[in-house]
Amino acid sequence: MAAIGRVSALANLRSFAQLHNFRSTVCRVAASSVLKNGCCSAQIVRSRHFSCFKGVSEIQVFRPSAIQGVRHYAELPDLTFSQIEERVLGVLKLFDKVSPDKLSVECHFLNDLGLDSLDVVEIIMAVEDEFALEIPDNHAEKLFTPKDLVEYIADKTETFE
Amino acid sequence: MAASKIPKALTLKQFLLRQQVLGLYRDIQRSLRRVPDKTDREELRQWAREEFKKNKKQQDEIAIRMLLTQGKRTLREIESTVILAR
Repeated sequence: MAAIGRVSALANLRSFAQLHNFRSTVCRVAASSVLKNGCCSAQIVRSRHFSCFKGVSEIQVFRPSAIQGVRHYAELPDLTFSQIEERVLGVLKLFDKVSPDKLSVECHFLNDLGLDSLDVVEIIMAVEDEFALEIPDNHAEKLFTPKDLVEYIADKTETFE
Repeated sequence: MAASKIPKALTLKQFLLRQQVLGLYRDIQRSLRRVPDKTDREELRQWAREEFKKNKKQQDEIAIRMLLTQGKRTLREIESTVILAR
């Protein structure tokens, strides 16, 4: 019961807030139009303020044709191997502990680049951010070179060429 | 023995513990990602890293387990604080 009471109170509060917000905008619009016309009578402002309730009912009737637009489906263009490689290497270059001159596609994170396991975790997370995918722990522990990463990402994003 | 062929090979127990530690590090870094301020985030990341590095040489299994529990508690704390901060 208490929960229902709270929900309805919340709904009331929200609709009140919307109404209030709307009223204040209408007021502002009214005030600015009054100023534009050069007429400063407070009487007019007040009368416009009260008449805004009429305005609400008018404005809330939406004509569907006015708001219906063309529906678009957004999709990223297909990745290619070289693009993935470029982006992976870009992520690695930005990583402050990797020296860019040592970096190559084949180099091993731990053996060649001298990183530790914590760095590898951070690299994996940076790559996750870059490609907006999640690499689970049991896969992440098998990825030790940029090439592994590229292949894994190509596999996940279904890139074949 | 297969294990003796590989230098510094971990036993199964050590391997599993290592997994857990790295998983915890991941989770901590993940939750720190949601810290709103950029400098704070960087500082906290550095702090988390140092805490892990501090106990890098720890060999004792019981001690590692204890540190893991402590880390998990800290993670919970971080998570609740990050949610509160937003």
